[in-house]
Order: sequence, then structure tokens, then C-alpha cells
Amino acid sequence: MIPLETLAPCFQGLIPAWLCTCSRAGVPNAAIISHVDYVDARHVALSFQFFNKSKRNVAENPRAMVRLIDPDTLQVYKLRLRFVRTETGGPLFESMRLRIEAIASYSGLKGIFKLLGADVYEVLGVEPVAYEAGLAAATPGARPAAADGLPFTMQALHALSERIQLAPTLDCLLDAILETLEQLFGFRHSMILLAGERPDRLETIATRGYPEGGAGAEVGFGEGIIGMVAEARKPIRISGMMRQLLYADAVAKRAQARGLCPENRRIPLPGLAQPESQLGIPLLVRDELLGVLCVEADRSYRFHEEDRAYLEVLGGFLAIAIQNAQLRERAEDSEPLPPRPPRHGEPAARPARRARLTVEYFRGDECVLVDGEYLVRSLPARILWKILREREAGDAGEFTNRRLRLDKSLQLPPVKDNLESRLILLRRRLEERCPEIRLVQSGRGRFRLELGAELALAERP
Amino acid sequence: MARKARISDDLAEFLSSGLSIVVATRDADLNPDGVAACAARVHEGGERLTAWFYVDAAAEMLRNLREHPAIALDFDLPTSHRACQVKGICIGSRPAREDERAEVDRQLEAFGADLEKIGIPAAAFAGWKSWPCTAIEIQVTELFEQTPGPGAGEPLP
Repeated sequence: MIPLETLAPCFQGLIPAWLCTCSRAGVPNAAIISHVDYVDARHVALSFQFFNKSKRNVAENPRAMVRLIDPDTLQVYKLRLRFVRTETGGPLFESMRLRIEAIASYSGLKGIFKLLGADVYEVLGVEPVAYEAGLAAATPGARPAAADGLPFTMQALHALSERIQLAPTLDCLLDAILETLEQLFGFRHSMILLAGERPDRLETIATRGYPEGGAGAEVGFGEGIIGMVAEARKPIRISGMMRQLLYADAVAKRAQARGLCPENRRIPLPGLAQPESQLGIPLLVRDELLGVLCVEADRSYRFHEEDRAYLEVLGGFLAIAIQNAQLRERAEDSEPLPPRPPRHGEPAARPARRARLTVEYFRGDECVLVDGEYLVRSLPARILWKILREREAGDAGEFTNRRLRLDKSLQLPPVKDNLESRLILLRRRLEERCPEIRLVQSGRGRFRLELGAELALAERP
Repeated sequence: MARKARISDDLAEFLSSGLSIVVATRDADLNPDGVAACAARVHEGGERLTAWFYVDAAAEMLRNLREHPAIALDFDLPTSHRACQVKGICIGSRPAREDERAEVDRQLEAFGADLEKIGIPAAAFAGWKSWPCTAIEIQVTELFEQTPGPGAGEPLP
């Protein structure tokens, strides 16, 4: 029998598979299925999401046939199967559940398009279909391009470690992580989201490879791959997003027609508009979720299982580095810091052009608008408003994190206030949207307000 | 006497619009098997249809159909996943006629164009073998909704 391991590309869900079953009465059934999961050398698993004819058939007659297409060679394979059991918990179920629910959440289908069970089948035989030999038949001798070599060499890991050690601040550390992921490992589109003020949401704090920085974009727990990673605290890897989303959209339309879910619930999330591959890794220190690292690509099957395993290990290391940087910045240090290095390969910061700005703070919504455009809200908005008012009142413009922490008007939570990451978020939003106002880190745990325009401040109800 | 079902004109048009057609049969031990059909056309009146298969695929399937004529055809449009299942009985087979080739090519071309919309390039299906074909005649017995989601598997009127 052809070893199942050699069919790894067939198990990525890039091209839908077929499932043929037969009732005890002898009536055959054919169905298209979005994904076949590799379990071990002798087993595969199919998702059980609806009580359909295929499910009823295998309960009566365990024999089944799955037809898979290798997305690289387009060779077709038939797998002769025997239904063994349905798993409703455990690692196999969890890994299938997370992937399906991440897709479902993009279409507003969480709770409707869900995994009821992982149906495990024994593989009795694997046959290539001779008359459907794919590319080998179209262009004999042609081989698909070799998969990208694994970039996780000891040398690269050593270089990553060195760059992280050298980062003087949390701000620099976040940039260094994403820059290194691209330069050493080839992950061109990446982002880090950290816990914000609300316990069930993450905020985008650093991005790389996007035309718009996207700092401040929020993701709720359970929303998309990032939200599912945060909720489950487990990595998720998805290949062939577009086709899986089309499948989920087809389900959504049926569910909407039956009033099972409202229309147009697609959730806007940060990142590529149409990612084909996504890999999300939780940033965990012991049991605490600091945030999520997400890499994505516009190419199918960009991330392999090995990428997931290596990034998961790296994620633990990066989480400790981020937490250490957060703790270090809580301690003040008047030693001058080296200037923040430019972000190589990223779009140039928006130039400061305006001579006069109107900055409005809306007390009820706790948000700041600059010249009528939304800038920031919640704690970063309260901080910005406070320091701008103090500057207006004649303050020199030097602030320490400690002073902010002690200021009751800012209403910081008594524990885990995430002040350092809130300040980074504020600094980056200003760089992206309002470069005339700058928060320059002047030492560890301290910063200076610099203004490149005349400000008119107005507080609104 | 097998039951009869009637395919509506609208559905008939969809079924011959160039779709993914998955066809299941079974052997004496209830082992299911499946092959791809290249094209299908519903006859006037909607009670019968012809499906065309590449000859090697048909030969594989006919081994089952000669003993057990039950057949199931799943039609699916990849871009929308609109799908339906036709159950039926094989009532005959014959070599496809040369004048049927244009219809087979038209449906495959339309299917290929739909695949391209979801990122599967034309080069990917350049190696598909589609001619010569065997035509299989099918008496339709049942019709089912197959679009994924709630309601999949329900009988179609």
C-alpha cells in the first residue's frame, strides 16, 4: 500500500475530496467533503458536522471510499476505508474543531458550522487512479516545485535569540521579532496581538508586511484564527482558506435562509484581505495568555506542520521575552536609550505636514479624534488627553510610566494594567495617523511628548 | 418497478452547466466506489439523464453497474457549492457519439472556468482525459438537496 505519510499534501484541504458510501439496502451515495485529516499510518478522519446520508450509511455499512487529489501533482488517489469510531474529545477532535470553528467564525457561523465528531476510518487500501494522473499525464516527467526548505536552522535560531537579547525596549522587541521572522524564516506577513483592557479581546500591537500598519485593530476571543487561538490557547494552521471559506459561506447562506443566523455577519479582522494560509500561535507564559502571533500568506499550503511545531516552540520563548520586557519597563531607568531603529522593508512613516491640529476628546465614548478622524480610544485615549492637557498647562512634557500608574484619573486596573503595551499602541497609532504628535521613549519606563504642530484641544461630553 | 422522479427545467439547466460530477456505485459486498463524470444532460421530460465518462472510468464503474444498477450522482458548483444529488438506476450504456463531443467539451470548459475562479489554474486540469467517452443512461428515481449546511440531504420536489 502507498504509505499515507507520502500523501501529506492531500490532507491540507486545498482541493475538496469525495466520500462514497452505501446504505445496507445497497443504495450508493456520493458527497463532497472539505477536508480529510491524517491520523496515523493506517487511519484518516473525516469531520462529522451534520447528520447526513453519508453518516447514516456508515452507521449501517462501515465501508467507504474517499477520493483525494494531490494539490501539487493533481494525481487522484482512491482510499478504501472502514469506519471505526467517532471521537468527540481528545487531541484529534480538538485540532479539527479549532480549524473548523476558526473558518466558521469568519462567516459568522460559530456554533452552527461546528464539529460534532471526528469520524475515524481504517485505511484498507490506497490506489492511484491510472487515468487521472494529473500533471504527470499532462507533461510527462514534470515534477512540482520542491516545497520550501525548512528555515529553522540552529544558526537562524541563534540569530533570532541574539536580536531579541539586544532589543532595548518592548517596542523594539516587537519590531525585532517580526523583522526577524521575515528575514530569517521568510514569514512576510505577520502580526502580534496582545491582551488589552478587556479580558476577551486582543489588540494588534505590531505588524509587518501590510500596507497599513493596523495598530489597535481588535479581535474578540473566538473570532477568526487569532480569536480561536486565544480562546483555545493552542496553535491553529489553515491551508486553502479561500475554498474553505466558500464552503462555510455556502453553509451560511443555507443557515440564513432558515433563520438560524443573521445575514452579513462576516467579521472584519486585521491582516490580509484574502489570506490563503494562516498560522496562529498562542504566546503563553505558564498559564497566562499574553497574546497571539499570527503569520499569513496569500499562497495555499504555505505553512506546513513543521512550521507549526517550530513556531509553537518559538512562541514560548518569545512570550517570555515579551513578558520580561514588560516587567523591565515597569522599572524606571533614566539611562538614555538608543534611538528606535528604522523598520527595514516597511512603508515609510507618514510625514508630519499639518501646522495646526484640532484634538477632541469625547468623554462618553472615551475616544480621541484628530481633525475629525478617529485616532484612539479607551486607556490610550485617556493617557493622550491627560498628557496633552498637562502640556497645555505648561508641563515640560516628560512623563514616567510610574506617574501614569499613580494617576487615579486614568482608571488603570489595579493588576495587569498592560500600561506598557497601551503606550506602544498609542505611539504607533500616532505614527500612523498623526505624526505631528510624537511620544519619544527617553528612558526605560519614561517618555517625552514632542509636538510638530500647534494644537487646539476641545473636550466634548 | 423503480420509483421515478422528475428533474425540473431549472434544475436540468443547472446539471448541464459544467459542474463537478461525482458518481457512486457499489459492488456485491456493498463496497462503494466513485468516479468522475465529464458531463451530463437531462432528457426531455426530466425523468432520464445521460452522463458521459472517460472510457476507463466507465469501464471501472460498469463492472458494478452490470450486477447492481443503483447509481448516485453528486453535482456541485465549486464557486458556490450549490449541489444536488440524483439517485437512479442505470438502464444502459453505449460508446459516446462523435456529435456528443462538443457538449462534453463545453461542460468541461465551463467547469474549468469555475475552478479557475477559485484559484485552480487551467494547467492543473490540462491532463484530464475526457475522450473517448462512454455514455451511461440513467432513470432518475430520487432527487436530494446537497448544498452543505442545514437542509442538506432533504428530498427535492
